[in-house]
Parts: sequence; C-alpha cells; structure tokens
Amino acid sequence: MPRTLSLKIGISGVRGVVGESLTPQLVTSFAAAFGTHCGMGPVLVGTDSRPSHEMVKHAVIAGLLSVGCTPVDVGILPVPSLQMHVRTTGAFGAVCISASHNPIQWNAVKFIGPDGILLRPNRADEVTDLYHQGVFPRVTSHEISEVREDDTAIQRHREAVIAAVDADSIRARGFRVAVDCCNGGASVATPAFLRALGCEVVELNTDPTAPFPHNPEPLPENIGDLCRAVRESGADLGFAQDADADRLAIVNERGEPLGEDCTVTLAIRDALHRKTGPVVVNISTSRMVDDVAAEVGATVHRTRVGEINVVERLLEIGATIGGEGNGGVIVPEINACRDSFVAMALVLEALAREGGTMSELRARVPTYAIVRERVGCAARYVATSLRKIERLYAERPQDRTDGVKVLWDDRWLLVRPSNTEPILRVEAEAPAEEEAQALVREALEALCPTR
Amino acid sequence: MRQLKMGTSWVRGVVGDALTPELVVNFACAMGTWCESGPVVVGRDTRRSSVMLRSAALSGLVSAGCEVIDAGVAPTPLVSFAVRELGAAGGIVVTGSHNDARWNALKFLGPDGALLNAVKSEELLDIYHASAYERATWDRLRRVTGAPDVVDRYLEHLLACLDVEAIRARGFRVAVDYCNGASSATAGPFFHALGCAVVGLNVDPSGEFAHPPAPSATNMRQLATLIRFVDVDFGVAMNVDGDRVGFVTSAGEPLSEEHTLPLAALGRLERRPGTVVTNLSTSRMVDAVARRHGQTVLRAAVGEGYVMDRGLAENAVLAGEGSGGVGMLPATMTFDGLLTVGLVMELMAREEKPLAELAARLPAYTMRKGELACAPDVVYRALEGYRKRFAGEPVDCSDGVRVEWQDAWLHARASNTEPLLRIIVEADRPERAAELFDDAMRYARRMAGGYGGD
Repeated sequence: MPRTLSLKIGISGVRGVVGESLTPQLVTSFAAAFGTHCGMGPVLVGTDSRPSHEMVKHAVIAGLLSVGCTPVDVGILPVPSLQMHVRTTGAFGAVCISASHNPIQWNAVKFIGPDGILLRPNRADEVTDLYHQGVFPRVTSHEISEVREDDTAIQRHREAVIAAVDADSIRARGFRVAVDCCNGGASVATPAFLRALGCEVVELNTDPTAPFPHNPEPLPENIGDLCRAVRESGADLGFAQDADADRLAIVNERGEPLGEDCTVTLAIRDALHRKTGPVVVNISTSRMVDDVAAEVGATVHRTRVGEINVVERLLEIGATIGGEGNGGVIVPEINACRDSFVAMALVLEALAREGGTMSELRARVPTYAIVRERVGCAARYVATSLRKIERLYAERPQDRTDGVKVLWDDRWLLVRPSNTEPILRVEAEAPAEEEAQALVREALEALCPTR
Repeated sequence: MRQLKMGTSWVRGVVGDALTPELVVNFACAMGTWCESGPVVVGRDTRRSSVMLRSAALSGLVSAGCEVIDAGVAPTPLVSFAVRELGAAGGIVVTGSHNDARWNALKFLGPDGALLNAVKSEELLDIYHASAYERATWDRLRRVTGAPDVVDRYLEHLLACLDVEAIRARGFRVAVDYCNGASSATAGPFFHALGCAVVGLNVDPSGEFAHPPAPSATNMRQLATLIRFVDVDFGVAMNVDGDRVGFVTSAGEPLSEEHTLPLAALGRLERRPGTVVTNLSTSRMVDAVARRHGQTVLRAAVGEGYVMDRGLAENAVLAGEGSGGVGMLPATMTFDGLLTVGLVMELMAREEKPLAELAARLPAYTMRKGELACAPDVVYRALEGYRKRFAGEPVDCSDGVRVEWQDAWLHARASNTEPLLRIIVEADRPERAAELFDDAMRYARRMAGGYGGD
C-alpha cells in the first residue's frame, strides 16, 4: 500500500494534518507568499474553532507582518462572514483558517482575494509559485505594521443577509428551529441570526471552545443528535452546518435528514420563484436541480467541482443562484461564496411563503437516490484509475469536465479525484437506491478488482 | 551579507534580512522540543518587529505541544522570574535588548530562569540543525494562557531583596529613561513602592527609540540634559528589555555604564560578602571594591550566559558586566535592572551620600574601547597574532585574548553581534592606556591589510 501524503496544496488552499504536515513553518511561508501577493495593506485573518487554530493563526500573522501587511484579526467566525467582510471593509485580502468539513486533525489556510472570493486558480498558482521560490520581500523593522482587531464581521453579515430576503414573512411564522453548529465557526453567529429572523432556537453544539462533537461534515450519519432534538423539541425543522459554515443540511419536522442535495435544490427553487435566470451547479450535483429549473424554464450550467469554479461561472454569466450538491448555496447578489446563512434564509422564506411543513416543501421536488463512496488513491494512480472507468463505459456518452461522468437518460455515474484529499470520489444518482448502488459497486470493482 | 548570529542562549539578526518569522518558528519548535513540550513563558519587548516574532514563537511552541504562558510586553528579568515562579520548562524573550532598532533576537531561558548556558545552548542548536522537532497532533495541542498576577509577585520578590524601609525613608526623586521599552509595566510600581518620586522620560512603550538603547554615557545625554532642569537625586537609564542600567548624577553627569557593576557591588558586598563574577572586558573598578571587602572577582567569557552561569557555579553573590547588566545572586537568574537600581538606592540610603560622591570612591582608571570592521577570517587571524605577540605575558585565551599587567589590561575579541574586532584597554594612567590601545589598533589595521578603521 503506497503511503499517501497528508498534505494537499491546491486551489482550495493549503490543507494538512496538524502535527504531521501542516507545520507552522509551512503556514508562515505561505502567509508571507500570500501577503506578498496582496501587497502592503490590511489582510483579514479569520478562523473556525479547531484546537489548532491558535497555532495556525499566529503563524499566519507572523508571515503577513514580515512582508508589510497589516493583519486584521476578526476572530472565530463563519467563512461567509469573513468573505463578505473583505468587500465591506476594502481589505486587500483574507486568510481563512479552516479545514471546513474535514475531521478535527486537519486544518487549512485558504486565501481570499480583495473581491471576497477564493483566489482564482491562476492567482492561487501565483501564490504557490511565490511560496516555492521562497524569496519574500521582507520589510525592515521600521516598516513592520501592527495587528488590528475587528469583531463586527458577524453582525454586518447577518444584517446584509436578512435585508436580502422577506424577513417579515419569516418572522410572522415564528419558526422553532433546531441547529447543530458542530461547535464550529458559526456557533455564535447562527443562533443570533435565527433569532433576528424571529425564530425560537434550539441550540446544539454551539460552544466554539469545545471540540467537535462529531465529524463536522453535515452528512445524515453525523447529525443524529440534531434529528433527535428536532423530534423531541417539536421543531419545525433543523439546520446543521459544517465547521466553517459554508455548507448546510436540513432536517424535516419528523427528524429526518433530507440529504445535502436538497439544500441547494430548495434554495434554487425559492430563488427562481422570486426571479428566474440561469443556474450554475457542479457536475456532481443532483438532477433535482434540473427539475426545479425546468419548472420555470431556467437553464442549468454545470462546472468542475470546487466552489471557485461555480462562483466564476456564476459571475461570468450573471446567474441568479448556484451551488453545490454538498449543501453549499451561492447567491452572488448577496455574497459571492457558499453561504449557509443565505441558504437558511431562502429555505425559511420558501416555508413562510408556501405554508405547510418542511416535509411538504420537500415533497414538491422529485426524489432520486444518490450514493456517494470514496476510495483511497494516491496522486500518481489517478489518471490510470480514470482511464479504467472510461474504458468500462466506452459505449456511453461521457463528460470529462471533472473526472469521468458517465451519462444515461435517467441516471449518472461520476468518478473524480478529490480536491482536498488523496482519494477518488465515486458517485451515482438513479431513480432507485439499488440502481445507484449497483453503478457505484461496478465502478469500485473496476477500480479495485480485489475489493 | 545576511546578518544572523547564534550564540550561547540567543539567536540574533537583522529583521527582514536573516531574522525571518520562519527562522523564529524553527527556533521555537527547537525550544519546545528541548523543553519536552512543557509549559514555556514568552515575553517580548516593545519593538515593532517583536509583535511579529512573538506570533512566530507562539506558533512554533504550540506546534511542539507546549502550553504557552504569554507574559505580553515584559522585561527579561520578569520572564525569568515567571519561569521559576510558575514552574515552567523554559522561556523565550523576544528582544533586541541593547541592539539598535534594525535588530531583534530571541533569548532562551532554561527551567531555572537563567539563560541557557553553553552546554544547553548546544543541545538546542543540535535540535535546530537537525530540524528534529516534536510535532503535537491536534489532541495534544495546548492553549496560549496568561499569567495576570505575575507582575505583582515579581515586584514582591524584588522588594523582599531590598531594605525597603531605608530606601523609603530617603524619599528619592529619580529621573528614569525607559527607552520606550518593556520596563514601563514593572518600573513604575517598583519606584512607587520604594517611595520614590519619578520623572519619566521616553515612557511610551512604542519601541520607537529616541536614542540607541544601550545605557552608555553617550546614550544618556538626553537624560543628563533633563536632569539639569529638574531637581532629582539621580537619573537611571534602562535598556529596552530592562536588564541593563546606567546612572546619571544629580548634577546631570552621566557615569559610564562600567560604573553600574562596581556601584552595585558597593551596595551588595556590605550586606552580603561573597564572590563577584564579571567578564574579561569589564573594568577593574569592581576588583577594587571586592578587595576592600576581602572578596575575590572571577572573570568569565563575555556574555550574560557565561557570567551568570559562572556566578551560579561559584555561589557568587553578584555577577555582572561592564555593559551595565548586573544580577544579584541567588535572587535573580538573569541581569535585573530594577534590582540593580535598588541596590544602588540602598547604598545611597545607608551611606547617606549622593551618587557622585559614591562614584568618586571608585578608582579613576582610563578605559579605551575601539572596534575594527573586518571579515571574520581577519578577526581570527588578528587574535592569533596577538596571542603570539603577548606570548611572554600572562595571557587568558578563553574569549579572544586578554593580557593582564600590574597597571593595565588589554582584551581583544570578536564581537558577538557584528563582523567586528573589539579592543578594550584599561590602565591606571591615561598615557599607558593610550600607548597600549594605539599599539593594538595599529597592529589590527595592519592585519586587516590597511583597510577598515576605528
């Protein structure tokens, strides 16, 4: 078994395992490289609540100071709040310290440009190049700036999102909402946000100083406590966020998780209801999106997986809304990034407008079965593995936007390398669960014959 | 040329040049590893660059699994005290100390609160050179904590070492030059507790230096000028991290920094006789004081790490250098500027004499100091030349070359901080000092091939 490295430098930033690959040396140099790219000005530094955030944050601050930037410590907060705050304050950029949905031993630094958007792939390449060259324009002691603090990002983000939806209708319903913040970056922000929308909030895991109570990816298997809390508290619905609060999962009033693809589908449905226009999602997002777009005659564009790819296409074609099947919703007019607060607002708005329960709202959209698997795969085996899938389905139409997507009239199979981990993701969607399972099984057998 | 120097107990460099945050992270990782991931106290001086280097140090220490006790802006002796008081495994002080504003440095303290000695420094450097750092996984990471009451406990400790009643009774008026440094937090309450009225100069802990931070007679001109306009008993200049002090008389006459140690010895040996340790470059004034009390002076290589280490080994009661740094053993493990001032105030109170009169009790030797900028190879060639030249005399080669005569001594050595050859001469008579000094400088210039100058 080849050893897989726990470090990944990619368009999502620098991600690694604390105590193994994500060292303060690496982070300091990367921050110096990013600071060089930003220029000598204010650069926001925000983080989620992982125990390693302090170590990483100080390394980032030291690196930024060394090249003349002014680090602005915005504390523990949701990533979408950080991204919006870059534009609000006119900062030269931001460093986001969060491994998002990755387990707690991971951490990462992601770089955000002056437009509040994750660095475009070409800019990210420039930063990586600066890092590899290792020669930074260090300032002398006299030119070293200071560290500033700013704790207004969460409040300003909250106000901006609430102003963009029909808040009065939501308040009129007086929802009871259970939330699981996974003790992450949104632990303080989310309860305050929901209360501002007139909701009664049942809080789960809202202590940012405590460790993650479960794997922070908001998958059905990780949010059992939330489902129970919804049932026991008689809540109208439940929301689960990942550690950096860009992704959202929904639980209906019966305590059943809807699956992350429903988040983007329901949000798109609500947004298109208000204003129709093109929709952008990635290649692994559910066909449900095509169905809700078809209701109002909107077109659906599909991109490579990775938030920045969706955002770029959204901005390029002036689309209304987009997102990813993993629960990331993007409304460029509000915030040009995955924003679980925007997602919560849109879902609550739809519920308020259409009346009825969460499960009734869900029932207005067709149901498919999606199966998502993963298999370890070191970088050097990726191309070979993908060719196996190409050959296996040589007679079917294939989409090579990202990995290999094999298309049938009523189902699809996707095998693609992860942007963040040395694994291949194997995903299929079909009318019935066993049909999707069969597609995934077939692909896995082709990839790993011994399995 | 990239300016980086690693010595016993410190690493020092020009910020933005060789002293990068990455370097500091590496050294902090090495220190955290040396401390076996135990708690480490971190303090910093007020330089702008110290904020950056502190963050780098915290990050490295945390990554090695250390609990970091952040003392914030803190003079070196306070960090030293905190290490001992809190039972920490070590300490890091981010301070350029007496160096000019371009420079900064890390000082490493062991669990006893003293600067790492030669042996421990070598262990640290070995870890650094091998890049063999402890790396804590996420579940072993510790938080950065504070020690809010350590300043009060430190001040209590200092006061317990002094005759507070005698000093209070005198009601001293003192002009203090803080050099906009780290002593602002400790010096104010210290002087207040001793019943002093303080006129402060450069009191803003901004790290912007009004003059170079070493407390030499030249750098105390601003303080001396102030004293001509205010009525005080004496003036004292602290360096940035509060381990060195210099004195100015009530008439506004700056005493050389060489006077600090013998004055402190006058105060200390009267109450507690014992051995005094100093370095090879320090004036023989302290020998005269020790002789008067029937005590001996031992000399170690130049540098606080060597001098304090020797002092501890010899159970000395005082250790210090001609730079104005003095440690009162065993009360402090590093040089401590406030305690030094306390000893001198105690002396003034006991003798009921003004500072100028006490200074006049010290022998009036002539000291000449010079330096020659030259490449390291020239420095070492010149030192070898001196060793041959003075082969017939009593020569001490433990740090460069030191030759001792009945009426004079000469010390030639490589600077710890810059590519310089330093030459120091002290003699009973000015002519003798000039003769020895000029001869040594001429020789050095010839070795440097006619290049360079003083």
